[in-house]
Amino acid sequence: MSHLLAVRGLVVQAPARGLKIIDGIDLSLDRGETLGLVGESGCGKSMTCYAIAGALPRGIARTGGSITLQDDADGGTGSPAKPSVAMIFQDPTSSLNPVHTIGHYLESALYRHQGLRGNDARLEAMRLLERVGIDRAKSRLRAYPHQFSGGMNQRVMIAHALAAKPRLLIADEPTTALDVTTQAQILYLLEELRAETGMALLIVSHDLGVIARLADRAAVMYCGKIVETAPIGALLERPAHPYARALIDCMPTIDPDDLEPPTPIAGSVPLLDNLPAGCHFHPRCDRGGRDCVSAYPAPARIGPGHAASCYHPVRP
Amino acid sequence: MFGFVLARLLRSLIVLFATVTFVFIVLRLSGDPAQQMLSDIATPEALAAFRTQWGLDRSIAEQYLLYLANAFQGNFGTSFADGREVFTVIGERVPKTLSVTVPAFLLTMLIGIPAGILAAVRRETAADKAVMAGAVVGYSIPNFLLGVALIYLFAVWLRVLPSSGSSTWQHAILPVATLVLAGAATISRFTRSTLIDVLGQPYIAAARADGIPEREIILRHALPNAAIPLVTMLGFGAGGMLGGAVFVETVFAWPGLGSGFVRAVNSGDLNVVQAMILTFTAFMVSINLTVDILYAALNPKIRLGNHDAS
Repeated sequence: MSHLLAVRGLVVQAPARGLKIIDGIDLSLDRGETLGLVGESGCGKSMTCYAIAGALPRGIARTGGSITLQDDADGGTGSPAKPSVAMIFQDPTSSLNPVHTIGHYLESALYRHQGLRGNDARLEAMRLLERVGIDRAKSRLRAYPHQFSGGMNQRVMIAHALAAKPRLLIADEPTTALDVTTQAQILYLLEELRAETGMALLIVSHDLGVIARLADRAAVMYCGKIVETAPIGALLERPAHPYARALIDCMPTIDPDDLEPPTPIAGSVPLLDNLPAGCHFHPRCDRGGRDCVSAYPAPARIGPGHAASCYHPVRP
Repeated sequence: MFGFVLARLLRSLIVLFATVTFVFIVLRLSGDPAQQMLSDIATPEALAAFRTQWGLDRSIAEQYLLYLANAFQGNFGTSFADGREVFTVIGERVPKTLSVTVPAFLLTMLIGIPAGILAAVRRETAADKAVMAGAVVGYSIPNFLLGVALIYLFAVWLRVLPSSGSSTWQHAILPVATLVLAGAATISRFTRSTLIDVLGQPYIAAARADGIPEREIILRHALPNAAIPLVTMLGFGAGGMLGGAVFVETVFAWPGLGSGFVRAVNSGDLNVVQAMILTFTAFMVSINLTVDILYAALNPKIRLGNHDAS
């Protein structure tokens, strides 16, 4: 059986400036699976999402590779319909149109994706709002986004995503703009909905804690490339790429016995128009050898479902 | 919403009152109307008689209170020049001014807004550059110069349109064109930049990610947001039309409020000047009031405030 989502050799560029924002990445996602995409700001996580959702901003285009979405779970007779993809965003309040009511937002999505209108659409919108944990749904349909908190607006965005009955939900930094308690509620809601609907979830975050909580597998991105993919447990316990290990070392802990401050990664992310030759991470890496500057390392198998693009992977 | 409109109406009345007071005092401090009205060779007796006739020999405070008392009874005085009621004088000029400014304003919107939308949507293409080049030209040439240039081109050289007067509808074409060129230039530039700003907002990216067709994104998602600042700008535009009428009516000898105002100021006809400024202010105040109401109607943040609606 094929994957729900298969990304092969994806290249995304800003052609006007010749920059490669994403440089040949491979990703796959099965039905009902949660994949975490982690990395620093500017590594191409969000662009990967936009490319998969088919909504790259103007001036940026996919120039290579393929993105295949296929849902043949029930036999795949003939040509199966393209499974629907929905997306939620980092800053929920500014991702909602300020002049449209919550009701208008949800009902127009329900019309577009399910053909519901009038009373049917309103009832379904109310049901969705209640499902994502917004009470007094009937009166809330008349509200505008500026009257809601960030957490409530993210719930509205999730309800809107559900209106598309997605087989794949892309969540681009869904909790970054929210405070910690709200963050936990939204993550819990996403996990619950994934289990309930059987959709797959692609969750992007720079926060490994968020990824650790939800994801079955994770991919670590650096400078437009995926440097390591692994089941989440293996990644957290036995990171093989020095960058992945460094990211994990950056995570603060709340263990009172662990008095070590988090270790920052030396240096800063290189600019896309001035990437180091060979492995892009080598100037910031403490394991570098001569081979690191010669050519970009191919992914090497570390364990089951675990691969890293490094000539000198960390071995346990 | 009702309280909002009431508060704005009260504020408008205060503005009108303040304008009357300010204009009254400033006009009386800036030169002698008797000397301006009569000629340089008028005898001192004639000047004194003129001042007594119009009450100009009393103190400014006295004149002001008398003016206010009469104004509240709807009497704004008579013209020094021909003794007619000032609002009779103004009343025959207002329709003339409106017959130029109203079509000019409508055409400004009809041309400026679509041109701005086109430039924003086809950003960085030939269409955008053509619209913006036209806008720069229209925006940088002053009204009076443009008026004279149009007279030269269409009346003197091509001989297809009349250059001055107001007897036929053809006479209105050049004055309207002058006002529209400048107005549409401003509005198209502003529409373009506002729409480009709105199209860069995260909710537009979210709408695109949701697969909504581009046409619908522009019409239903971007334009309602761009309309909010645009309404303010259109208010300025409408006010600018009235201001521009002062120049344009003078250039084209169009007998409206603007040219009448210039004539009244030159001849020192204080009562007419005062009443005309009051009329201009009343127009401005009603434009602002309309803008405020439209702004609230278009912007839920103003209409509803920040509290949860439920």
